[in-house]
Amino acid sequence: MNLPIPLVVLITILCLAGIGLYCLLITRNLIKVVIALQLIVKGAVLAFILAGNMTGQLNLAQSMALTVIVADTIVAVVGLALAVQIRLKTGSLDIKSLSSLKR
Amino acid sequence: MTSNFLFSSLLLLPFLAAPIVYMLGRSTARNGNVLGISLTRALTVFFLLVEGCLLYLVVKQALSSGGTYLLIGDEPLVFDGIGLILACVVLFLGLMVTLFSIDYMSNEKGEEKFYALLLATIGSIIGLGMSYDLFNLWLWFEAMAISTYLLVAFYNDEPPSLEAGVKYLVQSAVGSALVMFGIAMMFSQTGSTTLTDLWQMTSSEAPLAKIAGVLLIVGFGVKTALVPLHTWLPDAHSQAPSGISAMLSGVVIEAGLVAMLRAISMFGKVDFNWGAILIGFGCLNILVGNLMALRQTQVKRLLAYSSLAHVGYMLLGFGFGMAFGRFEGAAGGFFHLLTHSMMKGLAFLAAGSLLFTLHLSKQEHVPLTLDDLNGASRKYPVAAFALGLAVLGLGGIPPMAGFMSKWQVLVAGVKAENTLMLIVVIFAALNSILSLGYYAPLVNRMYRHEPSTAVEQGNKMPGLMIIPLVILSIAIVVIGIWPSSVQFLTEQAGLSLLYTFFY
Repeated sequence: MNLPIPLVVLITILCLAGIGLYCLLITRNLIKVVIALQLIVKGAVLAFILAGNMTGQLNLAQSMALTVIVADTIVAVVGLALAVQIRLKTGSLDIKSLSSLKR
Repeated sequence: MTSNFLFSSLLLLPFLAAPIVYMLGRSTARNGNVLGISLTRALTVFFLLVEGCLLYLVVKQALSSGGTYLLIGDEPLVFDGIGLILACVVLFLGLMVTLFSIDYMSNEKGEEKFYALLLATIGSIIGLGMSYDLFNLWLWFEAMAISTYLLVAFYNDEPPSLEAGVKYLVQSAVGSALVMFGIAMMFSQTGSTTLTDLWQMTSSEAPLAKIAGVLLIVGFGVKTALVPLHTWLPDAHSQAPSGISAMLSGVVIEAGLVAMLRAISMFGKVDFNWGAILIGFGCLNILVGNLMALRQTQVKRLLAYSSLAHVGYMLLGFGFGMAFGRFEGAAGGFFHLLTHSMMKGLAFLAAGSLLFTLHLSKQEHVPLTLDDLNGASRKYPVAAFALGLAVLGLGGIPPMAGFMSKWQVLVAGVKAENTLMLIVVIFAALNSILSLGYYAPLVNRMYRHEPSTAVEQGNKMPGLMIIPLVILSIAIVVIGIWPSSVQFLTEQAGLSLLYTFFY
């Protein structure tokens, strides 16, 4: 089987986003939630590169991808910092234990 | 080049000021230096005032030269009506919140972080209003989101705050990932992310443009709290420090709305009724916000749900503007954005001042319940008056600003001359009366009930906390009696929005 490369990349993007969303829905561990977010965003980074490749604007696409990586790393850092605090204060990383706020 | 210099310093100043404020506070607070921390507070106020002066100079320059236009690399930043109204609103409310927080945050550890992050939030919202490029818009949006994640979870010893922070972070991050997919889709079609290029290059029959538009609406909609995506909002608003609740409700969700409108405005050519989507979400937001607010027992959660309803009124205004080309609708939406930021800001600050005197100043981290408010007017007349004025204004009682802006939105709907829109307008007006069902009991409790034990044991209210309450109350009444005083702001913004959408 001989698939064209853009199609392979497209399938990879969809898989990454799909796995990330599925993981976000089923997981209960806070660290895994952060990993799931990272998976979705990695799909988006690949999508930028693919878009740049399709339109011949690779330079612009690469600079966007790098910016996205930086911004997303900060989000991951903040998420993990919150996870550390939650582990210290409640003794658990389970998001089901975080349900004091209802309605 | 002077205009470019002024304009770039307007965008850069908050980001230069934030580390200065942080480092000054950090180096002095460790030694318990009282002078250092007061200098930090004064410096924050000073930077905000300088930012206001810069804004005034940029406006003057723009008026004399007919629009400033600035390029940083390939990413254009434009100073137009939308950017101006957002910058005015965020600077005014930011200054009030800073003045309010001087006493409110004085018992907390890490006070310098609060001011630095507040400056960063204000700076990124100013930039968001002026960016004219889809990717740049996302970048400012993300900068705003990151600084607010940290502010929502500011009480990092309290599990409820951390919970609210995590909910907010996860939902917002998924939203911004969806926005990224939308941007990549548009980029793959046109090879550019500038809004003007995208407007010209999308044809009316582009299926991918519709998908991208929906992704952008849903992604920015998480921050705007469109109804199925609103679950983070009441938690974040009620758990954040009160000044930040005022910022979140007053400008941050509106900044998400402005980002969404900017993004939609490039799909003007696409054969799809974007205005109808906004009107639909608007009705849903008004209904769900009001019904959920009716059953709340905590003051800050009640106010948070009423934010949902008010975002609905703004969406209705912008929807009338986009679906029927009604200029009054778009201007009314921006007018409601402005008045809502003041009224909801005042409501949160007044509730926060009561929360501070009744609970926080005694080192108790408990929410302010409705029962705590009973008889508050006897001991805290200014705070009770401000809260009463704000909630009656939100409910749309005539002498306050809320009546004027709701009126303008609804009149635009009637002028659309469409039976369905007439039903929408009647629905919104009836909901405005329904909302009095939870605003009026607040006033009743404060003025007609016997004082609760919490009020009787409450501490004295600090004098500096009262100043922003008084200023905001005066502003609300003045705008309500004399709405043409802000007309130049709202009309410019409405014109800018419809201009980018239709031409």
